[in-house]
Amino acid sequence: MNRRLPVNFIIGAVLVALVVGTAALSLVWTPHDATQLTISNKFAAPSSTHWLGTDQLGRDVLSQLMAGARNSMAVALVAVLLGGSVGVALGLLASAIGGWVEDGVMRLADLGFAFPALLFAIMLAAVFGPSLTNAVLAIAFINIPVFARVTRGAANQVWTYDYVLASRAAGLNRFAISRDHILPNIAAAIIVQATIEFAVAILAEAALSYLGLGAQPPASSWGRILSEAQTLMYIAPQLAIYPGLCIVVAVVGFGLLGDGLRDMSDPRLSRER
Amino acid sequence: MFELDDFSVSFGSGTALRYANLEIREGDRLGIVGESGSGKTMLALCLMGMAPDAATISGRLSIDGQDMTHANERLWQQMRARRVAMIFQEPMTALNPLRRIGDTVMEPLIVHDGLSRAQARMRVLALLEEVGIPDPPARMRMFPHELSGGQRQRVLIALALACNPALLIADEPTTALDANVALRITDLLVRLAHERGMALVFITHDLAAVARTTENIVVMYGGDMVERGPTAQVLANPAHPYTKGLLGARPDPTAPARDANGKRRRLPTLPGTVPPLSALPQGCRFSGRCAVELDYCATTRAPDHAVDANRAAACHLLGGVKP
Amino acid sequence: MTAPLLEARNLTRRYKLPRTSLLHAASILTAVDNTSFTIRAGETLGVVGESGSGKSTVARMVMAFEAPDAGEVLFQGQNLHSLSAADLRVQRQKFQMVFQDPFGSLDPRRKVGWSIAEPMRAIGVDGDTARRTSEALEQVGLPARDADKYPHEFSGGQRQRIAIARAIVTRPALLVADEAVSALDVSVQAQILNLLMDLQDDLGLGILFISHDLAVVASICDQILVMQHGKPLESGPAAQVLRSPAHGYTQTLLKAAGVF
Repeated sequence: MNRRLPVNFIIGAVLVALVVGTAALSLVWTPHDATQLTISNKFAAPSSTHWLGTDQLGRDVLSQLMAGARNSMAVALVAVLLGGSVGVALGLLASAIGGWVEDGVMRLADLGFAFPALLFAIMLAAVFGPSLTNAVLAIAFINIPVFARVTRGAANQVWTYDYVLASRAAGLNRFAISRDHILPNIAAAIIVQATIEFAVAILAEAALSYLGLGAQPPASSWGRILSEAQTLMYIAPQLAIYPGLCIVVAVVGFGLLGDGLRDMSDPRLSRER
Repeated sequence: MFELDDFSVSFGSGTALRYANLEIREGDRLGIVGESGSGKTMLALCLMGMAPDAATISGRLSIDGQDMTHANERLWQQMRARRVAMIFQEPMTALNPLRRIGDTVMEPLIVHDGLSRAQARMRVLALLEEVGIPDPPARMRMFPHELSGGQRQRVLIALALACNPALLIADEPTTALDANVALRITDLLVRLAHERGMALVFITHDLAAVARTTENIVVMYGGDMVERGPTAQVLANPAHPYTKGLLGARPDPTAPARDANGKRRRLPTLPGTVPPLSALPQGCRFSGRCAVELDYCATTRAPDHAVDANRAAACHLLGGVKP
Repeated sequence: MTAPLLEARNLTRRYKLPRTSLLHAASILTAVDNTSFTIRAGETLGVVGESGSGKSTVARMVMAFEAPDAGEVLFQGQNLHSLSAADLRVQRQKFQMVFQDPFGSLDPRRKVGWSIAEPMRAIGVDGDTARRTSEALEQVGLPARDADKYPHEFSGGQRQRIAIARAIVTRPALLVADEAVSALDVSVQAQILNLLMDLQDDLGLGILFISHDLAVVASICDQILVMQHGKPLESGPAAQVLRSPAHGYTQTLLKAAGVF
């Protein structure tokens, strides 16, 4: 397999590596303590000690962005893993049993789709109170129907293959077949979807935090930084631009990576290119 | 009309077609017989100027005396439909599902021959009639999914005939069809070739179909043309060991399944399988699976040896003398 | 006469076609209509027909992938479609299937040995599954070390051998072969047909052999059942059906199978 990698995959992978690398680095090292206030040094211009300057409370902007990256990534990761697992399980179940179970799961998924996803997350956070945990749960919840539908579609395809019929002939029950044959053969589609949903989750987290429904002080995230900087737009526009850029880079990066993975897993698409 | 001289097609990993020599004259009905990987479909694609971009081509291909070996796409576009046309195995996917039959068949007449819609319509009605589609005016308004497989294949034949090609290439045209439909399609192809004086190249792995359809055949194996001659003679008395093996391996519906002792008869087989392109022997492609083999078969390509006046086979055993 | 291994009695299967209009009731397709046959141990029944003849639906009912709307399938005297799901899974080891497409009937992500051993794992066979996997591979003419390879490393004919190995590993009494040689080249087809005959001699298998090609059926079958549009047209000993076909359609099939 020495096919050339798709361009979108390469660009996406570089951007994702940058963002994830930064978030990982912040666990062990940031240039300054992200929460340390130095009022005397507020709105400092970029310098050798503060590469991106400081904010209205004299906190180091780069350190804050790095710490924010960590929270944004963690929220997105947990939310996608949680929502994805439930969604994949439901999709596999629907596909394996069929009949009214399948209909039921899919109608519930339709219900999920009919709700504007972000609005739903905001509603959940509003009802159960603003906290990072609730933000994660809300984002996970809106991911369930997406994964359920993708999984069920791909699984139904695999169920028609002869090797699945052969396994039924061998005496395997539906759950064993789902585990041994269906899941491994649809894993690629699910991973692609997860990557794209990761980008959506980052955006959702930023939106929730921006509205004050996500990360609570002193915890930081890109959405929170953005929301704090908003009031200072005319005094220090750069404070809003930096987190905005971070969000764009992360979302575009994961989006392109997902697209690229899809192209690689579907030989028909890549040949047409 | 169509001529191939030592025509070869290779890819990075192997040779798909090796030193093919072929001459197709007006009204010829030629069968190309081979199993998967024999190069028969590659040959058809080359005759249509549709060899894959990655292919390296050598030798010479000429149409009406004009060298088309490395002709560009524009030249080929002039040849296609008018000089050579092709029908494919799968009649469902070869038609645009969103267009009415009439519009599909009219298109080449309007584009290539510059007919008006009214003129094209008249031609299409005549064509559909010719290929045996009942009630052509009604069928013209139908979509492909409203027709049966056999009817669709007839529409594709009408489409291929629209610009009066001198050669029609049929690549496994009956494989996807039921037996009685397939019989009628092969009869139709023979009739059309006869009435129009059109040459027919019939590509198939089905020996029974080729026997019904063609006057001459070329047997292909591993990219080589291993045997050629009048269809009836080659099938009745094959000269090349591969042709012999292929004919022997074919089940005979008239032979009883069990012998006098109630023991089941085994079929004669060819040992092994067709090797992948990249692993074919350098010499005779069939060496390694051949029942009678000389020490140089695997290393030296066998030239065509005359079997009789109008038959030849590429086998060292027929040469007599060690090269 | 031994008791039949498999007896199909008056099998009927109807499908509801998708509605083409809101105003009309869904139409019903009778895929298999009142079809009966028996197979004895060591004997091969050929079911011949074309697409839409219902022959594959017959195979699916015999394999208990779907239930008939009327009639019953008796395997060793037991009605398969009245068994509980758990009992049926245990019974399945005694009737196995070989599919048409050798590229589709093996999970591309699993090693060949894993796939062959799957039926034994499913029913919890005690003892040495690895040894039985090797034995099955050797029975179909492949080296035991092939168990460690993936399906894409094999040719179509070899994969069909693997599919057969998997089907015989539970030592079944009945093998259902649905167009099992149709996707293969003629020269490979003969090898697989011979292999099926060898296995039948060695293991005393009953075989339900389904094909559109009368020539292939003639070479391996003792009994022939010709089907068209879901209905049984004629049946009888192979030699008799082939020598003096009673039905015009059988004659067409014979012509297509080609004597030249």
